[in-house]
Amino acid sequence: MSESALELDHVGVRRDGRAVLEDISLEINASTIHVVIGPNGAGKSTLLAAVLGQIAFSGTIRQRLPAGAAIGYVPQSFVADRTLPITIGEFLALSRQRWPVCLGLRPAARAKTAELLAKVGLSGMERRRLGELSGGELRRVLIANAIDPVPALLLCDEPATGLDPDAVAQLDALLCELRDQHHTTIVMVSHDRAQVRRIANRVTLIDRTVKDTGQPAKVLERAGDVAT
Amino acid sequence: MSWLYDWWIALAKALGLSAELQYPFVARGVVAILLLAPLLGGLSHLVVARRLAFFSTTLGQAALTGLVIGVAAGQPLDDTYASILGFCLLVAIVMVYVRRQATLPPDTVIGVFMAFTLGLGICLLVAATRRFNIHQIEAVMFGSVLTLTDHDLVLVLALGALLGAATAFAYNAILADSLSPPIARARRVPTTAVDYGFVVIVTIAITVSLKVIGALLVEAMVVVPAAAARNVARSTRSYLVWSMVIALVAGLGGLVISTVWRVPTGGAIVLALSICFFITLPLGRWRSGSPDRS
Repeated sequence: MSESALELDHVGVRRDGRAVLEDISLEINASTIHVVIGPNGAGKSTLLAAVLGQIAFSGTIRQRLPAGAAIGYVPQSFVADRTLPITIGEFLALSRQRWPVCLGLRPAARAKTAELLAKVGLSGMERRRLGELSGGELRRVLIANAIDPVPALLLCDEPATGLDPDAVAQLDALLCELRDQHHTTIVMVSHDRAQVRRIANRVTLIDRTVKDTGQPAKVLERAGDVAT
Repeated sequence: MSWLYDWWIALAKALGLSAELQYPFVARGVVAILLLAPLLGGLSHLVVARRLAFFSTTLGQAALTGLVIGVAAGQPLDDTYASILGFCLLVAIVMVYVRRQATLPPDTVIGVFMAFTLGLGICLLVAATRRFNIHQIEAVMFGSVLTLTDHDLVLVLALGALLGAATAFAYNAILADSLSPPIARARRVPTTAVDYGFVVIVTIAITVSLKVIGALLVEAMVVVPAAAARNVARSTRSYLVWSMVIALVAGLGGLVISTVWRVPTGGAIVLALSICFFITLPLGRWRSGSPDRS
């Protein structure tokens, strides 16, 4: 039995007086891919925001990660101003060099950026403007941004949205590599049942509270059409 | 500073500029623009990226109220930096705090603050004009190079260098937070400090620019250069460079217009900035390759 990387104990979130999450207790094992499923409005993205400490919550969330370990995050939506003149290379360099990106990219950041883009199938696109990218390309850039430095905990909110089948296969391989070779714990929100079956070690169905958790095939079978 | 004025006068003569442009106060104005334009133009691209245009307008209104408070409290009219900066910083910090706490949209919260500062300023203006002629206050409202002193220029130079260094130090964090606060927080960017720190930088920059550009128009200098630069820039580097160049060209152009046609400096600079924006607008549409895009 693996040791847990993340423990949620009676976690609740209220918004405008309404319970968005209630009494969520969950243990997520280290070096696994744990997928959270549920209908729209079930509180899946809110759960990730609570784990990231970006919203107020009741209860306890314990991260059992090495000191100083990196946490990666791929948000569901990226509401950046699409008219902002920033290239993909500059965006990725923002957190990879101290030198202001408006004064140019340092050689180390340039090399790292090229390496990350190659990993998500966007080689040579450093000079493309962020605002010119399609939804799928933008999502791949966000994934590239989240996997360096190699995170001990990676939180992905619908990472396959907008990706074509080849890109989804590449994403699956990337996530499995992180889990298997770098021991990254991955918590992922997904509506893609086929992807869940392919890569998940464990699945939790939530609808404001935990409805079911366990082996992917069994949880998906019990969930029926609920989580689609 | 006399060498600087002598240099400008010699240059103006060599270039065959009209007699009006050879006055020492114009030399002070040129130096002020050379210092302020890169600072405000440089900041403008981050102000627009952080969607603080309306916020900057409110700071301009708050500056007017700060001026009136200072004058009403007995400060000399030619040295009201303390009251303007104090009131603007107070408004800026409270505005950021309320915006972060409130569930209302940010522009609604900022609109409330703008109404409050303007209302307070107008009420206090009545008190101030009992002691001073309204035309003396107009210089700060609309900007005038006539009232610039060497002391003002030294202040602009010192604070400009400090603000430029602080912005460069935090640049990547400011831009990361502007693009996506959730991603920035996940990457351990101190987003709260960035939020407050950047408005403090903008507030100080606006305060030191008031004498040249004026309280009512200063927000244009931290918004329009970046708006025009967006039409032509392809990266943050070119965005920064274009913002600074446009601020510089419009600043010097506005100063010439102001001196030759004897109109307020701030108004002339804003007109020149607007012209730059409308010149670059079709250029941006042409470069984007989609002329029908709205």
